Amino acid sequence: MTQMVADAVRQAGVNFVDTVTMLLPRILITVSIVAVGWVIAWALKWVVRWLLIWLRFNNGCDRIGVGAVLKTADLPPADTMVSLIVFWLVWVGFLLSGVDVLGFTALEGMVRSFALFVPRLLVAIVILVLGVVCANFAWRATLIAAVNARVPSPRVVSGAVRALVLILAGAMALDQIALARTIVLTAFAIAFGAVMLGLAIAFGVGGGSIARRILDHWFPEPGQAEREEFRHL
Amino acid sequence: MADESLLSDDLLRQLVAVGHVDILVGIPTLNNATTVVDVVRAAQAGIGGYFPRARSVIFNADSGSDDGTPDLVRDATTDDTGTVTASRPLRTTQRITTPYHGLPGKGSALRMIFAVADLLSADAIVVLDPDVTSLTPEWIPALVRPVRDTAADVVAPLYPRAAADGPLVTQLVRPLVRAAYGWRLQEPLMGEFGCSRRFAGHCLERPAWGSGAIPDGVDLWMTGEALAHGFRPAQTALGPRLLAHARTRPGLPDVFQQVMDAVYACLEMHASYWLTRGPAEPVPCTGTLPGAVELGPRPDVTGMAQAFARDVVALHPVLQKVLSDATLAGVTAAATAPGPLVYPDELWAATVFEFLLAYHRAVMTREHVAQTLLPLYLGRTASFLQQHGSSGPAVVQDALESLGQAFELAKPQAAAQWKKA
Repeated sequence: MTQMVADAVRQAGVNFVDTVTMLLPRILITVSIVAVGWVIAWALKWVVRWLLIWLRFNNGCDRIGVGAVLKTADLPPADTMVSLIVFWLVWVGFLLSGVDVLGFTALEGMVRSFALFVPRLLVAIVILVLGVVCANFAWRATLIAAVNARVPSPRVVSGAVRALVLILAGAMALDQIALARTIVLTAFAIAFGAVMLGLAIAFGVGGGSIARRILDHWFPEPGQAEREEFRHL
Repeated sequence: MADESLLSDDLLRQLVAVGHVDILVGIPTLNNATTVVDVVRAAQAGIGGYFPRARSVIFNADSGSDDGTPDLVRDATTDDTGTVTASRPLRTTQRITTPYHGLPGKGSALRMIFAVADLLSADAIVVLDPDVTSLTPEWIPALVRPVRDTAADVVAPLYPRAAADGPLVTQLVRPLVRAAYGWRLQEPLMGEFGCSRRFAGHCLERPAWGSGAIPDGVDLWMTGEALAHGFRPAQTALGPRLLAHARTRPGLPDVFQQVMDAVYACLEMHASYWLTRGPAEPVPCTGTLPGAVELGPRPDVTGMAQAFARDVVALHPVLQKVLSDATLAGVTAAATAPGPLVYPDELWAATVFEFLLAYHRAVMTREHVAQTLLPLYLGRTASFLQQHGSSGPAVVQDALESLGQAFELAKPQAAAQWKKA
């Protein structure tokens, strides 16, 4: 009995040593890959950052409204954001490669999945950026046009337009990365439909006189335009 | 030289039959049946009465009227007007009317008029607005004589204006052009004008015609071309300028956009000239304007002032992208201050120049830049009319002179920033 226990312990020890002997190089390789990956990712981050600074990337982002959105959300400036994204994409790639070297069955295929996910993530980011740009453009165009057309509450109208475009872009981005796709699409459809229905009912019930004023302004009776108090030219 | 491809064979035949002329009166038209006859008669009476020995032609470039305008031009005579009394003409004034092809608009019509004038070697060219109902025969010698007698190249009109008449010109275009181009020209948007063949030839040779770089406001482009390329400007006093009311005109936002596009485009085009131009010089003037102007009822601008206060608050985030902190603070203070609206000259000059820089730097689409300026322009107009709505011409003139000086003072800083951008 004692002999059996001793053999089992010895065998376990041998197995442990064998496993360690087999795993240790892999662990070292994994650690090396992760460490080298971190260094490369860090270097890339700084290269990208300096490149973007040199290209005055932040000025461009400020011009199209992305800078303001980042500021509102308490996020770092655009060049820092891009360099951070590059850092994490590269380092996570190395990290998963390193984990793959360990040969754990449960973790197999993660690198492949990550490689498939990265393009979708990049497309989603592009959709978001374009959404922000379009939303800001639509907001500004609506605000200026509403002010010049004497539409009541121009900031509310333009803010609603921007929110709708941003929601649309956000839903498209989430759909692109397939994150809770069904929930996102259903929630978007319900929210969008509810907002539109609510606006229509609110405008129809409470805004009849406003609608009349707006329509009178947009479609004046013939000769009305000549009733200005003075000529501007 | 004129681009003869602009002129059809039939038109060329007519022009060859006419031969050399001393005076060409050009009338660009588009559905002006209600007013064009009087304009043609006045032009004919002006030529016959004041230049009886001159060889002359009235040339109508029509943009495709469907109300019979070309026929009316062709058939118009002075026989039943009784306006020709000074003397009988010794020569017949030829009349030619032709449709033009290409881009619709006054620019294409003027190009054709210049091409015809070049081909006929016209010494003096007069362009009239067919919509004007107050045109008299005296406008013709007023626009021709500076070209023939004083060798002026471009003769801009002078109209008597009350405070509320044409604030887009008096509050914005005039002082801006004065400060930028360095000439005290009263009417840079020349509704009517006279010019020499030399200037017409210069305009014809500009590559901008073909490239589409000439803005819709071709009148302002011609003013800029004349001033920036050393042509001799002159001004001549005409009577009041009244326009027909019958036709549907574009709304203020469209007019404002068009004018601002033209202003901005011209300043971009002539930047090398105006950035180095010094203080404004006076432009020689012939004739005198009437001392009194019919004021009409004082316009009620209370609504405009209230709208200005609302608009500045609503547009604040957009204005932040265009205006400096100091100017924005000034505009906000003017909008929110209790009592009558006061938008000072210096603040208005700074506002306009900062919008000009925003346009140059393309901080947002150029259409948005112009449209954002419109509520501020209305605020400035309301402020000016609250102060001078019922003032006499001398007081209004002093106020406008003061505005022009404020623009001149603001220009050097704007020019420096333009160069940095």
